[in-house]
Amino acid sequence: MIVLQKLTKRFGAQVAVDALSLEIPAGQIVGFLGPNGAGKSTTLKMLTGMIEPSDGTATICGFDLKKDVLEVKRHVGFVPESGAVFESLTGLEYLEMVAALYGIPQDPARARIQQFIAFFDLSFATLTEKLLGAYSKGMRRKVVITAALLHNPPVVFFDEPLDGLDANAAVGFKALIQTLAREGKTIVYSSHILDVVERVCDRVIIIDKGKLLLDGKPDELVASHSSGTLERLFTQLTGGTELERRAEDFAKTFRP
Amino acid sequence: MNGPEPTPPLPPRAFAPSTEKSLRQLFLTLFLRGRSSRGLQKEKAPKSVGRKLAMTLLFYALFGFFSIYLLRQPVFALSIYLHAMTFVFLGMFVASSAGEVLFNKEEADILLHRPITAKALLWAKIRVLVEVSLWLAGAFNLTGFFIGVAAPDSGWSFPIVHAISTVMQALFCTGSVVLIYQLCLRWFGRERLDGLMTAAQMLISIAAVAGGQIVPRLLGKFGTNLHLQVHSWWISLLPPAWFAGFDDALSGRGSGGSWVLAACGIIATTIVLWLAFGKLAEDYGAGLQNLNETVSNRPAKRVGRRWIDILVNVPPLRWWLRDSISRAAFLLTAAYLVRDRDVKLRVYPGLAPVLVMPIIFLMQQNGRHGGNDFGVAFAGGYLGLIPLMGLNLLQYSQQWQAADIFRAAPMIGPTPLFHGARRAVLCFLTLPLLLLLVLIVWLMDPQTSQLLLLLPGLLALPVYALVPGIGGHAVPLSLPTEEGKAAGRGLRMIGYMIMPVVISGLAIAANAAHYLGTFLLIETFLVSVTYVIIRLSLNKVRWPSME
Repeated sequence: MIVLQKLTKRFGAQVAVDALSLEIPAGQIVGFLGPNGAGKSTTLKMLTGMIEPSDGTATICGFDLKKDVLEVKRHVGFVPESGAVFESLTGLEYLEMVAALYGIPQDPARARIQQFIAFFDLSFATLTEKLLGAYSKGMRRKVVITAALLHNPPVVFFDEPLDGLDANAAVGFKALIQTLAREGKTIVYSSHILDVVERVCDRVIIIDKGKLLLDGKPDELVASHSSGTLERLFTQLTGGTELERRAEDFAKTFRP
Repeated sequence: MNGPEPTPPLPPRAFAPSTEKSLRQLFLTLFLRGRSSRGLQKEKAPKSVGRKLAMTLLFYALFGFFSIYLLRQPVFALSIYLHAMTFVFLGMFVASSAGEVLFNKEEADILLHRPITAKALLWAKIRVLVEVSLWLAGAFNLTGFFIGVAAPDSGWSFPIVHAISTVMQALFCTGSVVLIYQLCLRWFGRERLDGLMTAAQMLISIAAVAGGQIVPRLLGKFGTNLHLQVHSWWISLLPPAWFAGFDDALSGRGSGGSWVLAACGIIATTIVLWLAFGKLAEDYGAGLQNLNETVSNRPAKRVGRRWIDILVNVPPLRWWLRDSISRAAFLLTAAYLVRDRDVKLRVYPGLAPVLVMPIIFLMQQNGRHGGNDFGVAFAGGYLGLIPLMGLNLLQYSQQWQAADIFRAAPMIGPTPLFHGARRAVLCFLTLPLLLLLVLIVWLMDPQTSQLLLLLPGLLALPVYALVPGIGGHAVPLSLPTEEGKAAGRGLRMIGYMIMPVVISGLAIAANAAHYLGTFLLIETFLVSVTYVIIRLSLNKVRWPSME
């Protein structure tokens, strides 16, 4: 479903993504992990056609990222980390605008939006009356997730999708992506909340400095590195083992 | 939560609404409502924006009413006035809106992963810019359409011809600004795009504002002899003259010079449109992607302390900024005046008329009977407007939500923040302009008595600088930019401008009667009392309600 071949992105002299190659089949939920600045968001932006790769290429649903970028965009959904929306539209106006960009007529679009409203416990009045700028962070995130899934894409990229969602919404969302994967959708899930990744994902890919560090099933990776949890494995791999001691030392500086 | 029902497969695209139409509708809505509207209800937002737009159109129409002074003038004189003023208004509007409309950073996360081409995005935005430009141009030219019919060398064809030339001018203006951005992007790259866009927008806005002040005066100077200038070589360098030539050629006297100017207008508009919307349109997509790319962490060039840190740690600023909150607000304001594109685009072009007006008055009065007294006194009075307007404009920011931190800090009211911002405006905007003005006055007429006439205005300056803070307002960067677009701001500015005229008028009268010294003493007393009263009232100000 997703094939990366030496995908590279350079910003001047800095290599953000360094010849990344991997394959993700349909129906898999992949945790895409890495420390800040590892190149996760850049990779996701390349795979969604938002920025052009410097070298290498990728195919999504058989469409080449460089040759058929519009087809790639039609087949992916993306929830960006920023959760940006046009704040001066109402929720409904925003979702209808997104539907129109994917060529979905108004009636089917409304029907589909209704399904999401019911799923996310959103109030229709809020969606039609309030501008998005007046929404809470969680509400806004629900709208962004809805906008990513509205056109029923076979591949969905989530960048910190749980940010702002309350506990119930987060539980519902996790169940949703697991069901979507069972229905054959490919989910790429980038997050720093590693226990969620460990529970939800079938496979984990860890990158650092733009390079692939580790790729495998979460339980197998944890077992093979004798690290106990994915979080410990992650800190071992990305040089975060000293963090606990440093945090203790730092906290001591607050003593009166 | 209920489980979602299985979604139907995507319908065929043939029955889908047009992407172009959706995008155009989106950008028009965003333009009318503004991009950030936290806390607004749908009902209130369009109404308030609609009202603002109606007020703006009314303001333009009223301003256009001044063309009645050109009743019975030849078509070319009337048209060059109308096109020059339209050019100024459209230039200002497009320059201030285009950067935000064309290269909005947040937009990348919302739209760039959708199946739309860069060209479709660009066209939708351009259509909206042109559409709103035409509304504004139409409102301004409304009176002119009728005045033109009464021109001695015109007829009933004037409104139609002038409407066509105005549309051409709107396209030329929009195309030129878009072209400048695209060329900046192509030649200077992503890292410098933001800074260059800011500089380009600032220069266009300042030039447009300055042009708006100068052109009517030039017209006043040329008077009825303006039609003779059609054949001047230099007039073909002025874009408004091209479109005025178009009017004159088709509905006026139709001299050879007019046809040449009309041809210049058509050719220039065609070239600009071809370059901006055709040839360089592909660069637009690349530009959007570039803005979306993470800026590489280049090592900082400077190793020493920043100039501003040095400045606030040496007297007199060190003494003036003893209060830590005022000092922090001073540094914040200074940083935004230097670095933030949105703030720079609001503040500097906003202050341009205040800068240009005194200089024009100085130049006009110079050499006239009675000397340059009014020009100097008026210039001094106008200086007081700089802190007043600067502080008003500095209230608005795209990052206004970050100002919540001020309320979270242990402060009983916003006054210390206001004082910090006020001092920054006095240091970085008012003082340089004061020195510039003194230099100009001195160069024109190096008499001490002339410079003394600056004093009445300067004495009032500290009070002017306190006025924005009354009632807990003028907290730096604390209001959404949409609130700064209110048409009422223009009316308020006219109100502010009356005061310097009154002060300079009184000062000249006192000077003529040889009572300038007494006048200054009385003014000093009144200003001191007012200053103390306002300072005391500011100390009592509490945070205004957030409701």
